Amino acid sequence: MTPEPKRTNFRHVELAQKILDVAGERGMAPGERLAEQALASLCNVSRTPIRKALQILAERELVTADAEGGYLLAVDPAAIARLEDTAEGDGESEIYAAILRDLAAGRIAESQTVAALQRRYEVSRQTVQNAFVKLAEENLAERGSGQQWLLKHFAISGDAAAKSYEFRLATEPLALTLPEFKRDIPAMTALRQSMLILRGMNETNFDRKLFDRTDYDFHLLIARSCGNPFMAETLTNHHRRRRASPPAGHVNAFRLMQSNLEHIQILEQIERGQMELAADLMRVHIQLSQSQRPRLAGRGVPPAFKLVVR
Amino acid sequence: MGHRPVFICHPGFSGVFTEYGFGEYQLGDDTSAPATDWNDFIERHQDAFRQSPFDQLQSYVGPTWDAIVDTAIRVEEPLRQLVARLKPDVIVLDNVVMFPAIANAGVPWVRVVSCAETEIPDPLMPPYLSGCSETPGEEWERFSARYREVTASAHRRFSAFLGQSGLRPPPTSVFLEPSPYLNLLLAPKIIRRKRRNVLDEELFVFLDGCVRHEAPYVSPRFASHNEAPLALISFGSLGAMDVAMIKRMIETFSKLPYRFLINAGHWRDDYRDVPDNVFIDDWFPQPSVVEQASLFIHHGGNNSFCEALYFGTPSIIMPYCWDGHDNARRAEETGVGLHLDRYGWSENELASAITSLMDDAAMRARLKDNAISMQKAAGVKRAAEAILKVATTMPSTGLSVKA
Repeated sequence: MTPEPKRTNFRHVELAQKILDVAGERGMAPGERLAEQALASLCNVSRTPIRKALQILAERELVTADAEGGYLLAVDPAAIARLEDTAEGDGESEIYAAILRDLAAGRIAESQTVAALQRRYEVSRQTVQNAFVKLAEENLAERGSGQQWLLKHFAISGDAAAKSYEFRLATEPLALTLPEFKRDIPAMTALRQSMLILRGMNETNFDRKLFDRTDYDFHLLIARSCGNPFMAETLTNHHRRRRASPPAGHVNAFRLMQSNLEHIQILEQIERGQMELAADLMRVHIQLSQSQRPRLAGRGVPPAFKLVVR
Repeated sequence: MGHRPVFICHPGFSGVFTEYGFGEYQLGDDTSAPATDWNDFIERHQDAFRQSPFDQLQSYVGPTWDAIVDTAIRVEEPLRQLVARLKPDVIVLDNVVMFPAIANAGVPWVRVVSCAETEIPDPLMPPYLSGCSETPGEEWERFSARYREVTASAHRRFSAFLGQSGLRPPPTSVFLEPSPYLNLLLAPKIIRRKRRNVLDEELFVFLDGCVRHEAPYVSPRFASHNEAPLALISFGSLGAMDVAMIKRMIETFSKLPYRFLINAGHWRDDYRDVPDNVFIDDWFPQPSVVEQASLFIHHGGNNSFCEALYFGTPSIIMPYCWDGHDNARRAEETGVGLHLDRYGWSENELASAITSLMDDAAMRARLKDNAISMQKAAGVKRAAEAILKVATTMPSTGLSVKA
């Protein structure tokens, strides 16, 4: 593994994603100019990081350099997937992803030290430390006693997906019915455009990565809009952690297409202000998303076989 | 193709078909029955799985036929009601036992021979589930005689049950006769057996494999050996219970220059200290993984074996019950893989079995050629067309049912 961290770090990638989100919410079309100053004030940062973020977008051919200076949008922001921030050679992101992969795969234990992982991945102390900080930000690690870091295995174990659905079933419908829920119309409109693009696809050309983005953005939007900061924080943290974790299981395209239609239905009810109905649809959506695949089936397996007995 | 397929299944399969967008009807489970003691089940069967096919007749095959006959009797009434409600044009039976509700439904029924080809017996073929070689010998008769003994009580009950439903009893040891309309067999040419009584081509259609299409599988990143050839290990959801044996295999895998994907089913979280070249999950979209794999280690289940052949992937078969024994033997006889005893292997034997198949360029080339012809045969489409041909000989209501 390369021990050298590159200059591009995940914060710039996050900012690049934010620029695409802003462009989407403002309904910008390919060819439109991305003004640095306007972006800086919309994203609440200075122009220097904006320039870095635009360079990342240019490298990925999502914006093009304008002959008169600055950048032009090169794609429809509604039609593209979320930016990957685990680019090869990006030291800390790579180690961050490797730690999660190895934890999920049962290769490393929950309790770790910087030194131990430094040896395992053959990288600098700083790189491992930065990866731990990022994991802590995503609620996937916390400091233990002394030199220890505790990785949260429960968040990515085999049962994590089922437990996550259980948690979301209790919270997301509730978030939709809180009295101060505020609809973010520009964000909803941008999201709907992406969902409609997905609706036009079939099982063979379904864009899973675009679906992943709309799924994340949709659930995060509900969290952000709920009007209760405690609920918003809890749900946001949960979704961020969900996104950061290695994917659990394999969901086929048919189910994802259904899921996209359910998202559209819920969004429509939110737009109409029918929040109770939106909450009911959310309940149905989450329950349908829980995989019902049998965990054990075979000849000679008695019908009343209950795995929970174990 | 203009017909609407719906599935009738045991509650244990709930969700399998809806996930692919098909209608699904379950035959009610009797929830008042006491739950089976899990630990006892594992202990009992893990012992049985260590025995020879002959010894399993007493410990596993007999009791399993008893359980299958019990199920057939229990679901008869709900199945009859459901079929009456669905009014299908044709019923496709993918099972090992006859259901009177299907025979008496008044519409044609198609049998899918879901096990190895030995399920349709012939004097030139070793007995079903015996794992015997293709050369006739005393052991054939010995096995058949014992099979008749251990299935006798289940067969008596089953014959009486069919009689009550107005059907004639099947021949000794037989629980499902061929359909008079159509029978579909998976066995591809490369492993097909010689028969004295040649099967009627109109009634018995060989599909040369029948493999479902899954979305492409993206292999996870391993902590090492990311460019190395890939092996898939899956013993089915039941075989995954053998955690100790799989852990022994993993020790061997850790020393080999390949990547290993292991289907651990329900027991995924039982594995710790997983080596860098091993990845364990509770489910894989198997056909898509087999397509990418250079080796498939499995239990000889008929679907697994056919998927390996369909994608030209050599098999190491480590059977533990049922037709796995027949497929393991057949794989060796026809040179499409190796048979390895499920428990009686040393680390060296497992490692050399894996390495020899990974390095066997001649077998690989032959399997790839065979895969091309199997894929050309388009078994899935052929099966659908054959079923619909049967369906259209009767007045149509636009529905077909698979049970």
